This record gives sequence, structure tokens and C-alpha cells, in this order.
Amino acid sequence: MVLILVECQKASVFPASNYNDQLSGGDETVFDATQSAFGNIFPTLSGYDEHVHVLGDLVFNQSFVTAPAPIQSGLGPIYNNTSCANCHHSDGIGIPTAGDRQSSLLLRISLPGADANGGPLPVPGYGLQLQDKAVYGKAPECSVNIAYNYQTYSFADGESYELRTPTYTLSNLYTPISGAYLLSPRLAPPMIGLGLLEGVPESEIIAYADPNDANGDGIKGKANYVWDIATQSKQLGRFGWKANTASILTQVVTAFNQDMGITTSLEPVESSYGQAQYDGLKDDPELADSLLHAVKYYAQTLSVPARRNVTDATVKRGEQLFMLAKCGTCHRQTLTTAVNVAFPAISNQIIHPYTDMLVHDMGPGLADNRPDYLAGPRDWRTAPLWGLGLYATVNNPGYFLHDGRARTITEAIMWHGGEAAASQAYFSNLSTTDRNAVLAFLNSL
Amino acid sequence: MKKFITALLPVCLFALIIAGCKKDNAGNTNTTTDATLESEVLTDFSNDLVNPNYQDIQAKANIMLAASNTFIASPTDANLLAFRTAWVNTRTAWESCEGFLFGPIEDFNYDPDMDDWPVNSVDIDQLLASGSSLSLSDVDALPTTQKGFHTIEYIIFGPGSTRKAADITAREKVFLASLTQSLYNTTTQLRNSWDPSQPNNFTLQVTTAGKGSATFATRQKFFLTLVGSMADICNEVANEKMQTPFATQDSTLDESSFSHNSVTDFTNNITGVLHAYLSTYNGAGGHSLSEMVKAKNASLDITIQSQINAAIASFKGITETYEKAIYNQQNQIKTTQAAIRTLKTTLEDDLTTFITTNIKD
Repeated sequence: MVLILVECQKASVFPASNYNDQLSGGDETVFDATQSAFGNIFPTLSGYDEHVHVLGDLVFNQSFVTAPAPIQSGLGPIYNNTSCANCHHSDGIGIPTAGDRQSSLLLRISLPGADANGGPLPVPGYGLQLQDKAVYGKAPECSVNIAYNYQTYSFADGESYELRTPTYTLSNLYTPISGAYLLSPRLAPPMIGLGLLEGVPESEIIAYADPNDANGDGIKGKANYVWDIATQSKQLGRFGWKANTASILTQVVTAFNQDMGITTSLEPVESSYGQAQYDGLKDDPELADSLLHAVKYYAQTLSVPARRNVTDATVKRGEQLFMLAKCGTCHRQTLTTAVNVAFPAISNQIIHPYTDMLVHDMGPGLADNRPDYLAGPRDWRTAPLWGLGLYATVNNPGYFLHDGRARTITEAIMWHGGEAAASQAYFSNLSTTDRNAVLAFLNSL
Repeated sequence: MKKFITALLPVCLFALIIAGCKKDNAGNTNTTTDATLESEVLTDFSNDLVNPNYQDIQAKANIMLAASNTFIASPTDANLLAFRTAWVNTRTAWESCEGFLFGPIEDFNYDPDMDDWPVNSVDIDQLLASGSSLSLSDVDALPTTQKGFHTIEYIIFGPGSTRKAADITAREKVFLASLTQSLYNTTTQLRNSWDPSQPNNFTLQVTTAGKGSATFATRQKFFLTLVGSMADICNEVANEKMQTPFATQDSTLDESSFSHNSVTDFTNNITGVLHAYLSTYNGAGGHSLSEMVKAKNASLDITIQSQINAAIASFKGITETYEKAIYNQQNQIKTTQAAIRTLKTTLEDDLTTFITTNIKD
């Protein structure tokens, strides 16, 4: 049925003005608003493509275990979690806790300064990421402790809201760290639509950049250029909360290596190499290229759920307010993927991710004060908003922002500062009815 | 774990374009299904299937806990056999509930806490060889690949299912005492999560679907979730659990390889789909999704029931353990996979379309 329908759809010439706002992921949109909404394959794929996606899904969901083992071998020796899905629950947003099995928050660490490629400087004995778990007999690098400070604020109309500010401290360090170091928390992000975002041409993203605010609208936005393991070159950063990763393949390779301690042909050295926890086994790469690429393909071909209630009057009112508040200047509604004859599913798709894929100064409240290539101490990438209204369904209750500090969409908006301060103030000054309309719009995404 | 809900293109918008190739859903109508029946199905799905199934898992886990303690006190081969039987019986109740994996079992990770796979045998062996404490709290804190069903299976059956009572060490007995208690405790949490007498129970979320439920804003959402979970387990059985050891011709990749219980596991998974469709458990049932389908599209109901039953029956063709069948009974395995895939497609396409067409509240 799907193939037939899609063929029919593609056979017709469709005026751009008639494109349906519901189709957040273009042809690769699924109509699923259930708990599984983020876990669907591109609907245009079939046959062998579907097989590879399913294989990647399998590896993504199964736990890895200590080497040597007949399957899923090579966990650790130090790691953050035992499977991809243990952080990316149902392919959705993670849970901002540390130390337990469901925890989806990790800490990046570095010394002040930059390496030869302009990236963060590793901390001797720790590298660039803290692994707070270890296989039997090995010491985790540390324990991560999260504490929150709660404060109540008021909107202009008097209604109050609460924000919580996290503080991260380390304990049980396996070896001392000398001198100052920088920490940055990162929550597992949703997996939807990554292949489409990867397909947006660099030229389109750069066109939205305005690093010197030449147009004087107070909103800058700059592209991050980062070292890419897969191509061994500097590339536009597209993924990660600070856009410090250029491609899905590099993202997957790095997550295997750093989050789970699984070596691959592109990152064949254990994260613990040179540390006391190193296993010394000659089993690298621990993951076959076929499985690595299946997981990469899985991440590349997860579809985007369709919007709901797009004709609802309140939702439409909220959308107008969203634009009036200039949220859409960074959270751009529409991008178009490049023509790609090698991969028709992601070729020339009109998508509605609500991001410009650039990094912006988000103010001191959200600052991690840890530069990551060109992303400065207060910079964060504009988070795509597609699927936002389903976080609560897929990842009950669902969290927001790079460290999950925001428990509601309202809190996430009110954390916006820096270049987004005026938009935040606009929202804050709305009546309750209008704020709810904005939320209704965001929940329709 | 993932289902492949097909894209239900926005029919209104594309009506003109797709009119010529829209699949014929003869028998479906656009009228809303009887709201009273929907309400009865929500109640009976919870009361006649989920709650009794979870109660049964808890009861069987309690029997396994007792069998473990009996074996530890008196480690005879007969008591080991009774322990193994109790493991298999608990597994039966557990695997059938995988036909509808949604709600607290996923939200609170009761599933991986009890049923993660593969076992981390390297770490388990080192843990057993060490002097580390094996108390209940220690076992509760272990990674999920070092506790639950398959770790117990690893110890009481062992590779090739060859272990005897005399092989099980004193440390392993201490470990087993904590493992079986930990698993029982998790089954209790699972049972309580739907128990209508408990605060914030999930049964309430189901029975109030579309009428104030925070989880299911509409009844359609509940039924789509249910059908999605039924299709999910079909995918998991045919394309993952059966396919991985079969495609690689490696029996060590078989989930319940120590106990040789995999074919039974698979069968009970698909039996769980039947339970979900009929709102029935242990022969007792009430109003069901089947009844709703039958009222509007009797032929679809017959198709679904016959495909579920055909998939379950096809397992009878696999007469050897799955560890041997992947080498000796490849055609039978392919036949069973095909039957499950056919069912999966019907659930994802026809039944999903039926729900979006007929359940509007």
C-alpha cells in the first residue's frame, strides 16, 4: 500500500504552496503518535534496505557484554551504558540522571585550550569523556553527582514557573586530575530524521549564518567546523548539542567507542588505552564493519512523525505567535535536502525540522563554558523541534535542553537567553492564553 | 523492538492523487465503532488479560523462588529439575506478555531488568570467582546482563544444558538465592504497576483512554499502541530472535540456548499476540479488539485470527531444539518466519487502517 501511494504521490507535480505542514519529514514522514513514534523506518524503503535497517535496529537495541563473547562482544572496559537503546530510549530523548542503567547523561571533559585541529584538549588519564561505569574488576573513571537548585519566577501576567539549575560534581576519581578542567553535560538526543538533516546542503546552512549580525536583528548564528574521523578532514558540524560532529557515521563510531567502549575500524583504539583499565586484548576492532554500517544506516533512516492538529485554531494562533516572537529565525521551519541520486529517500525532500543547524549564543544561564571547535562557551546548536510534542508520549515524561534540566517546554523556552533573549521575553510577556497557544503549536510538532 | 508503521498518507489532502491506487478496504465504514464496546474492551483487556497475566508471572516467579530455595537447601538432581521446570513455567507466562509490551513494563524497564540478553558470562564468571558480596542489594545493582532469566538459565542449565546439581558451586547457590528473589521482586513491581487497587496504576490509564487518560489522549491512540506492540513482537520473533542465529548459522546466538527453550519462547510470544487480540488469558476472556473488528469487517477478523493461529501452529513443524533446527530444519524455520511476517503485515496495514478508519474518539 505504501509503495503504491508513494509512487502516486511522486508521479504528480505538486505546487510548493500545497505541501502539507503535517509532513515534517517530507516523504519520510510516518503517521504515528504512539510510544513507538520515533522508531519507524523511512516508509519508502523496502527489500534489502529494510533488512539492513532491521539489522542495525537489532545491534542498536541489544546489550553489549564483556569480551570475549560470541555476540555483542567488547563492552568497556569503561563505558557509560551497555546498549545504544539504554540511553536513546525508544529512539527518543534521554533521562538526565547519572549512574543507573537508564541514565542517558554523560559528561564531556577537557583542559582549557585547543588541540591541533581546534578541538577540545583531552585530560591526561581521562580523554574527552568521563566513563562512569566499568566491567567487572575495572575501576570506573569517576562517579557523577547531579544536584539541582530550584528557583521560582513569574511571567508578566503573574503566573509563576520554576526553573532548576544543575550542578555537576565528580567523586571517586580513579586517578587525580591536576589543575583546572572543563565539564559539559550532554543528554542523549532523539534519533529521528538524522539522515534528512545530513542531507541538507552545506550551502543552505551557511546561507543562514550571520556571525557578525550584519542584518542587525540581534541574531547571529555561525557554522561549526570540526574534525571528522570518517573523512579525516574538517567538515561542517551538524550533530551533537554543540554541532561538534560532522556525520552520522562519525557520531555512531564515536558513541560506540566513547559511550560503550566498542572499537570499530574507524576508531580501533579503546577509550581506555593508556589507562589502568585498558584490557590489552587483541580483539580490535570489536564491531564488524557490516554491523557498524548497519547501525549507521539505522540512524540514518529513522523517519519523522507527522504533526498533529495542524488546522486547530489555537495551534495556528500559536504558530503565528512563534513567528512573531522570531523563534523561527533560528528554529527555521523548512529546509530542503540536496539532490542525491545515490540515496533517493533523502533526495530533494522538503522537511520541517525547525532548526538552522547553526550554533548560537544562548546566554550565561545555559553556558557550559567549554568551547568545542568554533562553538563558544555559551553556544549551542539550534535543537530541531520536530517530534517535540511527542517527547512525553515516547519518553514519559520527557526532558528538554542539552542537559535535561527543563522538565517542560515552558521551562525550556524560559531558559533561552543570549541571542534568544528577546524571543524569550516576548513569550514571557504573553497572556496565559497566548502562551498556551504557543505551547499547543509546539506540541503539534 | 521497532515496528514499521507504514505511512498513512493524509488521505484528505491526497485523495485526488491516490484515488486510483488506494487500497480497497471493502467492509470498513467511516462510522464510529460503538463507544460502549470500546469501553468494554479497554476494561476487559486490562482485567481479563494484562492483570491476570502479570499476576501469573508473579505467582510463577514465586514458585521458582521456592524451587531455588529448595534446591539450595537440598541440592539434588531432582530438585534441580524442579527448579528448571519452574524456570520454564515462569518463562511461559513471561513470554506471552511480550505480545503487548507497552506501559510500565517499558517505562520502568522491567523488561530488560528481567530479560536482558546476551548474558555477560565473562563478568558473571569473574564475579563468582571473586569474594564479592552476592546479597540481594548487590544483585539488584548489577547490570541487566548479569541478572534476570538468562543469568539464572546460565547457571542452572549451562551451555548445552549439561549442568548437574553437583556442578553448582556454593557461590552459585548464594547467587541463585539473590537472583531469584530479585526477579520475583521485579515481577511484583510489574504486577503492582497495573493493579487497580494501587495508586497511579496503569489500568486506569487504559480504561480512561480518551476520557482523561494522560497516556492515551484518545482511544484510537490506545488501540494503535496495542496493535503496534503486537506487530513489534512479530518483528522481533521473525526478524531478530529467529533470524540472527539462523542467518549466521550460530546456535550460540540463540536467546534461550542454555535451556533449549527458544521454540517455546517464540510460540508463547505469538500466543501473546492472540491473547492481546482476544483479551484472553488462561481460557478466560471478555470483550476484545477481535469483537470490534468482527462487528465492522468480519472477513478481516477471520483473516487475523487465522493468521495468528497459523503462525502459532507453524512452530509445530520445528521438532528439534532451535539450536539444531537452524542446521537441520531450515525450511520449517522459513515457513514459520513467513507466517509471522504475513501476520505482521496484516497487523501493520489492515488492522492499523481499520483502527484509524473506525475508531475516531
